[in-house]
Amino acid sequence: MIEESPDSVLPSSVVGQYASLFEHGNTTEVQLLSDAGQQRSQDSREIIASLRRSCESFHRLNAPRSAAYCSHRMAREYFTAGDFDNAKQFFDGVTGLYRQEGWISLLWETLGYLRECSWRLFSVKDYIQYSLEMATLPVFSSSGVETSDGKRAYGPAGPPTLSQRETIQQEVFSLLKGHESELSSGLIIQDDQPTSLTVDLVNPLRMAFLTSVAFHSQTMKPGLSALITVSILSQLPHPVEIDQLEIQFNQPSCNFKVVNDEEFFAKEVKEENHDTHLKSIPSLILTTNKWLRMTFEISSGQSGKLECVSVNVMVGHLFTFCCKPESPASMEVLALWKFEDLMENFPSKDPIVSFSGQKYIQVEEPEPQVELTLSASSPALVGESFIVPVSVVSKGHAIHSAELKINLVDARGGGMLMSPRDTEPSSLGDHHVELLCVSGVFEDDSQSNSDDIRKIQQSFGVVSVPILDIGQSWSCRLEIKWNRPKSVMLYVSLGYVPNTETNSQRINVHKSLQIEGKIPFTISHRFMLPFRREALLPPKVTALPDVHSKMRLPLNERTILMVSARNCSEIPLRLASLSIEPDGNQDAVCSCSVRQSGSVSFGPALIVPGEEFKQVFAVTPQANSPNIEIGTVHLKWMRDSNPGRHSNVVLMKQDLPSVSVETPILVASLDCPPHAVLGFPFSLYIKVHNNTSLLQEINYTLGDSQSFVFTGRHTDSVFILPKSEHIISYKLLPLVSGLQHLPIITVTSVRYSAAMNPSLAATTLFVYPSEPYFDIGRKSELVQAS
Amino acid sequence: MASTACFIIVSRNDIPVYEAELGSAVKKEEAAHQHQFILHAALDIVQDLAWTTSAMFLKAMDRFNELVVSVYVTAGHTRLMLLHDSRNEDAIKSFFQEVHELYLKILLNPLYLPGSRISSSHFDTKVRALARKYL
Repeated sequence: MIEESPDSVLPSSVVGQYASLFEHGNTTEVQLLSDAGQQRSQDSREIIASLRRSCESFHRLNAPRSAAYCSHRMAREYFTAGDFDNAKQFFDGVTGLYRQEGWISLLWETLGYLRECSWRLFSVKDYIQYSLEMATLPVFSSSGVETSDGKRAYGPAGPPTLSQRETIQQEVFSLLKGHESELSSGLIIQDDQPTSLTVDLVNPLRMAFLTSVAFHSQTMKPGLSALITVSILSQLPHPVEIDQLEIQFNQPSCNFKVVNDEEFFAKEVKEENHDTHLKSIPSLILTTNKWLRMTFEISSGQSGKLECVSVNVMVGHLFTFCCKPESPASMEVLALWKFEDLMENFPSKDPIVSFSGQKYIQVEEPEPQVELTLSASSPALVGESFIVPVSVVSKGHAIHSAELKINLVDARGGGMLMSPRDTEPSSLGDHHVELLCVSGVFEDDSQSNSDDIRKIQQSFGVVSVPILDIGQSWSCRLEIKWNRPKSVMLYVSLGYVPNTETNSQRINVHKSLQIEGKIPFTISHRFMLPFRREALLPPKVTALPDVHSKMRLPLNERTILMVSARNCSEIPLRLASLSIEPDGNQDAVCSCSVRQSGSVSFGPALIVPGEEFKQVFAVTPQANSPNIEIGTVHLKWMRDSNPGRHSNVVLMKQDLPSVSVETPILVASLDCPPHAVLGFPFSLYIKVHNNTSLLQEINYTLGDSQSFVFTGRHTDSVFILPKSEHIISYKLLPLVSGLQHLPIITVTSVRYSAAMNPSLAATTLFVYPSEPYFDIGRKSELVQAS
Repeated sequence: MASTACFIIVSRNDIPVYEAELGSAVKKEEAAHQHQFILHAALDIVQDLAWTTSAMFLKAMDRFNELVVSVYVTAGHTRLMLLHDSRNEDAIKSFFQEVHELYLKILLNPLYLPGSRISSSHFDTKVRALARKYL
């Protein structure tokens, strides 16, 4: 007795073979299922179980085709047993492989089974899908398969021939049009349940309806029309009559339908209003392997991207194929038809459109009819609130819901208006260039609206623009401040709506202006010794050269400080005042006295570009310290505006470097009258003050001069007591009139080996030929020679 | 001639470019339409074996019941696959070699797109004649 049970079925040892293990007494026999085993084992579940194990083994062995064959056998067992759900599931699994590898005969047979399963399961959509795919397979009458008088058994769809394709197509289109046929009996599309199938880029029904959409240009103006070509290609063996096409876009207002002329006129007669979204062409019949080309005009009032998203093919009134259109430039060929011998044709007559056409087009923004003006008459200067007037004039559009956006960007790239080194918390608020405010937005508060926008940040601003009718104008002023010299780009954008309709498109106008920010004045300073007075400071002994050596000033001695301000800009400026202000530190105020010579307020002086203004100060240090702050230079300037026009005064500050104050050892001064008269002697005094507590020996010399004779020693030395002064006097007689040089005077400190030589200007004297008399008009001061 | 013979030429892209039923006997109804499934499943074995030997003729590398799958792999990795019940290896090898020469002539045709289906009736006639001669 041969025992059979599901457990006795062994995995196959050879590809495609299935064995059963039988116990025969004490021995075990292996018998092939395909032989008597299969005939004995009528239980489909046994076969399916063994096939499933085989399939899993082949998957583990990475043999997908063998596994697919096992799946196919399992599906056929399920089909034979009447389990169409499972059969359909397994057939679906293998069709992908056959489709991918292009085994048409295997695909045909599997699709035939799937079609049959769909019919049994009353799945209309699946039935139509599988039928159409079978009808579009590249199967021809002479496919190389030799038929042998009907002895050959095929799947439910019969042999893969052209006539079978035609039969299937006729059958499925009868179903689509609502006619019931004998072959598809029991399957109908309900009137109240219209059905659709999506044909995307990977769907096998691309062979039935391959759609191409191409715009003839890349851009179009809003409101104007552009040409678009819609093309459809089918590999169905018989011509297909389409009832209606619907072309859909991402802008629904551009959607339109296409019918044939006959249908179009019938609709025109029936409806009172002409439907602008209904277009007609002479014929909507698809011929095998021939593009149905349709060119239409389309316009859009909305700017942006206009893209065709769907081409809906309606066959009958209850079934629609929603096809995803493709651009000719990026269209994939039909994989199964790639190597077939076909007449090649293109989706458009225009070769440019056929090879580079796209299914989208860019709708440009409408031309604005508003003039936006920026002006800057001169470069901006650091420190001032620079005014940039902005004007908006309506040329042809009324302005509603308008906003003015202001943006400041570094002209040299980078975008930031502050240096990365300045990104410390303390300097974050210190932008190089910042937008202060937008003034003149509304003339008075009555015009402002609570909904109006006004937002100003350092480099960005948004303000509302009031409603303007055609021909009206509006203006405002941007106040921008430069804290550092920088070139910036000022971008101003006006966005408005030309009318009050809800779907009206916003129009933008852009304007930009590059503004240079320059330093108005460069401030420099210079210390000078007093006239005919010189102090000897202690010698400085340091191990290393001091790179940042400070200026050394003598204690309680007046030193001249000359501050110069040069106009570095390209425009004339008015200098209101130049002063030195203390830093605010109370100790600094007492340690140094600064007096401005001349009048403090001299009125706004006009400084042309390149001109230098000099102000003299007398600095008298009053404390002995290595680090004394003199103060800050305060320079007030303004633009040279027209008379009667007020210009803002801008304060410019520059810190003066600190100085080192030391007690002078010796102070020598030359006392001499301001001028002499020829032939009249005058006295010359050399005063040397010893500030130390040591006895100081000095050597002094007076050189000969051709312009003067003098009495006294040419060379001598003298000891000066501590904290006391010694006066050396000479009597000089001028021999020549005119600007003469006094005899060369040298005072040398023996202890410090330091000489004090008066400057050339200090030893110059004017000799009048006779007693001068000056009358300077209404002024009461008379200069008379004594 | 072999009672059963199904011949397929599979291109290097695994797409069949030529198919022919070459048997002379009456086919078993339930097995006849399985021929192409068997040959398709045998591609897995060919894929493994082809790179293990330099020989073109791989002899009988699979069997299904009493049918045997013999394969001949060309230098361009085109596979000539024959499902047959004949046991004459030499004859089968000669058949493959002659068909290979016919295929080369097809490739030499400048109007033939490699990988596309061979629709030449002359080629088909020649292959059937070779089948009658060797199988």
